[in-house]
Amino acid sequence: MIEVKDLSKNYGDRPAIRSLNFSVNRGEVVGFLGPNGAGKSTTMKIITGYMAPSSGEVKVAGFDVFEDPIEVKRRIGYLPETPPVYNDMYVRDYLRFVAKLKGVSKDRIESLVKSALDKTGLGDVQKRMIGNLSKGYKQRVGLAQALVSDPEVLILDEPTVGLDPKQVAEMRQLIRQLRGQHTIILSTHILPEVQASCDKVIIINAGRIVAEDSLTGLTKRMSGGGHSITLKVRRNQDEVVRSLTSIQGVVQARSSGRMIEVECDGDEATVERVASHVVGAGAGLIELQVQALALEDIFIKLTSKEMITH
Amino acid sequence: MRAIMTIASKDFRNLLTSPMFYVISGLCSVLWTYSYLRALLLFAERSRYMQPGMEGGMNLQREVFLLHISQINLLFVFVVPALTMRLLADEKRMRTYDLLLTAPISATQIAIGKFLAGLGVVTVLTGISFLYPLITRFVAEYPMAPLLSAYAGVIMVSAAYVAVGIFASSLTESTMLAVVLGLIFNILLWFISQGAGTDNLPLVSSILEYMSLGQHFLNFIMGAVKVASVVFLASVVGFFVFLTQRVVESSRWR
Repeated sequence: MIEVKDLSKNYGDRPAIRSLNFSVNRGEVVGFLGPNGAGKSTTMKIITGYMAPSSGEVKVAGFDVFEDPIEVKRRIGYLPETPPVYNDMYVRDYLRFVAKLKGVSKDRIESLVKSALDKTGLGDVQKRMIGNLSKGYKQRVGLAQALVSDPEVLILDEPTVGLDPKQVAEMRQLIRQLRGQHTIILSTHILPEVQASCDKVIIINAGRIVAEDSLTGLTKRMSGGGHSITLKVRRNQDEVVRSLTSIQGVVQARSSGRMIEVECDGDEATVERVASHVVGAGAGLIELQVQALALEDIFIKLTSKEMITH
Repeated sequence: MRAIMTIASKDFRNLLTSPMFYVISGLCSVLWTYSYLRALLLFAERSRYMQPGMEGGMNLQREVFLLHISQINLLFVFVVPALTMRLLADEKRMRTYDLLLTAPISATQIAIGKFLAGLGVVTVLTGISFLYPLITRFVAEYPMAPLLSAYAGVIMVSAAYVAVGIFASSLTESTMLAVVLGLIFNILLWFISQGAGTDNLPLVSSILEYMSLGQHFLNFIMGAVKVASVVFLASVVGFFVFLTQRVVESSRWR
């Protein structure tokens, strides 16, 4: 659906992105991840045809962004960092205006505006002036604006920025609902967002792609297959810690407060052995949690490694 | 065409319902009412002493309407940039420019749509000023054709101001700067012909003479719709709309 080849962009002498290569398949939800200033917004702006790159090419649904910008723009719904709303317009009028601007045929405008309002939960405020809405609602109007032409591709630049926790949860829910109907690229520097909504992750740092994989693939690769297990027992904690080290596959076990942390290889059988050992010892197992390496750790590992090599 | 009308109608409506337009049209009306009434009363006073056989010496067109129209023009030099300042500068400041640039429309359509919206609003304001001579028809008879020709001139010249104003607005994010730039460009349009009359460069002199906004406007006011004047004013409009289109297009390359 989206193909990016050797894409570079310089702002004056400063390179913003350097030969990016990736592709996104139809219906995928891709998380575009990176620290501030990594080049996420720049890449997205180029894909939408807002901005021309210094070199390289981008194809959306087979159309080259620079040769057929109009065809590409017809297929894209874009939510920039700041929602592009007119404060002196009513929500419904605004969405109608955007639909017309996107070239939606007359007979479909009303139904598409209605479905965008429904999807984003804006039905209650549709007759209010956008300038009087809260930040969260404006953000939703921005999303409705991206959805209103029913585009094949949705590009969302930090869709949850500035929202309260409840609104963030709602926004994620919404993105999950949109999965399958649209191909979505979503940029963020908030990691749980990616875990909550994306099939695939592209991590970008200092203008380069440092990792591109599915979420599970990435986790597996970065952790080298290792697990850590956290246990909580009712009694004999020290004894359990000592005996655990003798179990096959356990690398290390130590107490930390009322919890026991066990590092072991990635084999599920090891987890089973640990569990049955603790239960067999009669220590009163009340909690057991297996943790793969979290995305946070992967992210920090990848982006800081990159920093050092530059 | 549909994209142009979408932009034009939205901006036309937003401008027409903005407090800015109310303030401007209100203040303009106050000024016009004052000076139009004064000119009309003066005319009535003087025509009372008119002797038979002097009809050719005095007419409404020359004594009253001309003054009115030159006052409309004077006001428009200042007022039109204020009306058009928001059209592109505000889009940039409010980040709604992103929406326009990622919509499946061309820079040309954006520029023309904005121009039509501005022209529409200025036409409404011109319409308000047209009420004065129209109401005078209840109390005096006068030929309509020269008045219409003069008003065609007003519309043509204000179309040039609108194109200039939109170009100024495209250059900056600040509406304040857009007004100032628009004003300066408008005044430049009026003063560019001052260079005419220098004898050592006859070609330059005659070109500058042709570019005199005042002369072309005068033709309309005197009831002569000349092709050269129409072509000149249309080219001024075309030129500034084209410049606006270039500026909008160039934002892609920055």
